[in-house]
Amino acid sequence: MSEFTREGLAPLSTIGNDTPRIDAIERVTGQAKYTRDWKLPGMLFGKVLRSPYPHARLVSIDTSEAEALPGVRSVITYENAQVVWGAGSVNGGRQYNDPTKEATIHRRYIFNNPVRFVGDSIAAVAATDRNIAEEALALIKVEYEELPFVLDPEEALEDGAPLVYEEGNLCPDFRGEFAPMISDIGDVEAGFAEADQIFEERYETGFIHNAQMEPRCSLAHWQGDKLALYTPSQGISNCRHDTARDLGLEDHQVQVITKYMGGGFGNKNQNQDADLVAATLSRRVGAPVMLEYSRREDWLGVHGRWPTVQNYKIGVKDDGEVTAIQMHGYSGMGPYRKNSGGISGMDAYGCPNRYREISPVYTNRTTSGNFRAPSEPHGFYGIENMMDEVAYQIGLDPVEFTLKNMRRPTEEQQFTNYTLDEVITTGAERFNWQARRKVIPGSDDGPIKRGAGFSFMMFRAGVGTSSAIVRVNANEQYTLYVGVTDIGPGAKTTMGMIAAEALGTSLSNVEVVWGDTDRCPYSVGESGSRTTIMTGLAVVEAAEDLKRQITDNGMPTGGDVLIASATPSPTTDGKTRQCFGSHFVEVEVDTRIGSTRILKYTASHESGRIINPSTARDQIRGATIQGIGQAIHEDLLYDPKSGQPLTPGYYRARHLTHKDIPDIDVHFIETDDGYGPFGAKTAGESGIILAPAAVANAVANAIGHRMTSLPITRDKILGAMA
Amino acid sequence: MRSLTNLNVASFEEAASAAQQARQLGQSVAFSGGGTDLLQQIKDGTDNADVVINLRSVPDGRAIETNGNGVSIGGLVTLTELSEDPLVNASMSAIAQAAVSVGTPQIRNVGTLAGNVTQRPWCWYYRNGFNCFKAGGEECFSLDGENGQHAIFGGGPSFIVHPSDVAPALVAFDAIFQVTGPNGDREVSAEDFFVLPITDPVRENSLRENELLTGVVIPNLSANTVSTYYKVMDREAWTHAEIGVATVIQRDGNVAQSAKVVLTGVAPIPWRVQAVEDFLAGKQISAAVAREAGEIGIRDAQPLTKNAHKLPMTSAAIETAVLSLAAG
Repeated sequence: MSEFTREGLAPLSTIGNDTPRIDAIERVTGQAKYTRDWKLPGMLFGKVLRSPYPHARLVSIDTSEAEALPGVRSVITYENAQVVWGAGSVNGGRQYNDPTKEATIHRRYIFNNPVRFVGDSIAAVAATDRNIAEEALALIKVEYEELPFVLDPEEALEDGAPLVYEEGNLCPDFRGEFAPMISDIGDVEAGFAEADQIFEERYETGFIHNAQMEPRCSLAHWQGDKLALYTPSQGISNCRHDTARDLGLEDHQVQVITKYMGGGFGNKNQNQDADLVAATLSRRVGAPVMLEYSRREDWLGVHGRWPTVQNYKIGVKDDGEVTAIQMHGYSGMGPYRKNSGGISGMDAYGCPNRYREISPVYTNRTTSGNFRAPSEPHGFYGIENMMDEVAYQIGLDPVEFTLKNMRRPTEEQQFTNYTLDEVITTGAERFNWQARRKVIPGSDDGPIKRGAGFSFMMFRAGVGTSSAIVRVNANEQYTLYVGVTDIGPGAKTTMGMIAAEALGTSLSNVEVVWGDTDRCPYSVGESGSRTTIMTGLAVVEAAEDLKRQITDNGMPTGGDVLIASATPSPTTDGKTRQCFGSHFVEVEVDTRIGSTRILKYTASHESGRIINPSTARDQIRGATIQGIGQAIHEDLLYDPKSGQPLTPGYYRARHLTHKDIPDIDVHFIETDDGYGPFGAKTAGESGIILAPAAVANAVANAIGHRMTSLPITRDKILGAMA
Repeated sequence: MRSLTNLNVASFEEAASAAQQARQLGQSVAFSGGGTDLLQQIKDGTDNADVVINLRSVPDGRAIETNGNGVSIGGLVTLTELSEDPLVNASMSAIAQAAVSVGTPQIRNVGTLAGNVTQRPWCWYYRNGFNCFKAGGEECFSLDGENGQHAIFGGGPSFIVHPSDVAPALVAFDAIFQVTGPNGDREVSAEDFFVLPITDPVRENSLRENELLTGVVIPNLSANTVSTYYKVMDREAWTHAEIGVATVIQRDGNVAQSAKVVLTGVAPIPWRVQAVEDFLAGKQISAAVAREAGEIGIRDAQPLTKNAHKLPMTSAAIETAVLSLAAG
């Protein structure tokens, strides 16, 4: 079930209609060409040798036997191929910033010595087929000196803990200073003094892998001094720029081609080490090299969502007004700072006194990095469970408690629009919240207990710079050039729909050219829920320019074309622009066997005007499914004695299967605040932010025990009920 | 993936002698039914077969048929065929239910009865390449490590749990296991087919080198036999049992004349809980009796540091399975 409420919005021609993806036929008939489908003449196959130890110094490496194996064309190692993977580790975990990357203290190379996690890369082979490449890996002799390792972020900060870097295990910030990330608003101590009651709790969340269908791969092909990379990228422009910088090239010397890709969920932002390894191998051997990671390599070798510890302290008055929020957090980043280690959520509350201190910590687990809403789902789980507990403890309905305490526009900080009240109350009505929640948690008789949980969120929907080019020929056929790829949300189709609407033509008259840096202008990349808004605004501006040209000059004739390009730098006039959401979920917990089943799920969102209802709805559903998995299934368990990962892969991480997925009722309240393309905001990341929080709150409501760590596995439920 | 030799054989006898010949040449050998798991083990390096003896070219072992002794089920019958067979569904529903609970439709379409019964453990230490007992080493890493999924019965020195769903159902029906080796055929009782790690820490069954399981015979059942397989999973598909209970009862009215209760996922072999079987004999099947059966079922359990939650689960699973066989 899903529904779109469009009160007060003028209907449009193309936008707002359920529209099949423009590449649907190619995808479902197997014609779509993914990176691994490319075959170039003389193409070799690459494989990477990885560390079997969580922490070790490489004393020596002998590649002679591997090089002598017939079919092997090149072996590169940490000794003879020292290439910085700039995006792989950045001071402060920041992105897209050349000066910050240059200043980074702890860099990640394509091959590393010492190796700092199981899966860290050491060497790579190019050979005439995949099996020879794999056999060659087994012939490389490495002498390791094992070093002590540390897996847990809090232990890593203790005196005497094994050091991942000699400067200490607290990650440096973007200035290169070894200090926690602190946000200090108002006066938190004064807030606690004002409170009638104080609540404290510790929450923990696990490592979650993005688990995109297509493991990383890259096909590199040099022609002279120009590198063509066929790679599944979530941002071809960024991938090109990062790769050029890492290899000492100019941007125009790198062409990135991503025609089709099998998902990323944040895992394929910027460039990947696979791109650099393939490019380095290809340059050495003078032939195209296809580098493919296995599922296990993809799971362990690169990155996923960071595990966290969150210690909350909340001050609240008897009437339910929150007076102070404090959180001390730890984020396990693995040995490279791929992303911030942020723990978001408390800023969704209006409480004027908020203190947050997060220590991003190096460990010898696999690297943590970007995953759909990188800082949010675990943070909202923590704060929303904390607040849910506070609400029940002081006898308030969590929805009422939220409506009383959530952040609202102020004189100082206005919003472009604000619909959170409506988003929450509509969700509550559709779900029948009052009837489903247990006023007294855990009050169902018998071993099978039902309960309902709720969470809310706001998430950035800011505008920014991107580019688009649109062309028309004498036959009134339009061509739109946008540097987007489709990681799932249907960006090519969305861009085509925006162009058709802005041009006043039908989608079938618009050919979309995408996924090739030599053919398309800059685009922001499919991360941060930005493409629809930012590249979409560029499409609108280019289309308007083209329409003006047509008005001024008439349609082109003969072989002539008219072309318009746009790179707008829009602002929101100092206002904050957010999308909003609320999720409501009912669970049934069998307390005899500790299992949790989702009975009903309602997702209520405001993401501005919806461009393509079918893909927007599925973005919320897909993200919700991932969030449910984070809540009740997924983790990456390590053996404490050896530092070896035990549960990589779909089977061990127990991702939801189709049979586990409930019906998810999605409801959009559509608006147009005048800022996005036709009012569009963000949708791609918003759904995942709420689900772990809502599911955990529902379990607590069902069984009467707060689940303070994710995933909520049966041993935790049975432990609580024992 | 490393290179290996695939041998298509025409009979079980040829398979056994081919295995013997290969081993005499110092090669390591694996028999492949569906190969769904074996291939992944070879890719992962947890099976180092030089020679894979492919049984998909064997025409025998594919039938489910009744003869004077009972029902014989070929070892190469797929799990899909087993789960859909009318005879099995009518008289041995626990076997059909166990078969349909395995993996995914894709796995069941090629995975075989023999392969399911003889699959290697899914312990995360063994499958991640630790040199444990099951890999020929001399340690069980779960003991001081992550043992949340490990054995609460029959453990030591290895604490793996048996992964098969079909095996406990076969044991509950007193299946006779038919084995072919280089020296001919032999039959092994359900009790003797599976071996505890105290007897053999490396292997889960009594198949000797170069022997393979070719089928089972379910002895004739009395007409009042009812059965069920109840499986608790961490998700609704594509995973092994956290706890599985195969229960076979000879029922007169609502009285259990005799019962077999066999667990999977909690012990290194399909685990008969004889105390529960003895308790149930002669009892009316009621909620109270089922609950007591569940309590009795964990009396001998010996949890490790992180798997105590399996005790209440096992009790609840036995209770659910037994109660589901109440008349009416």
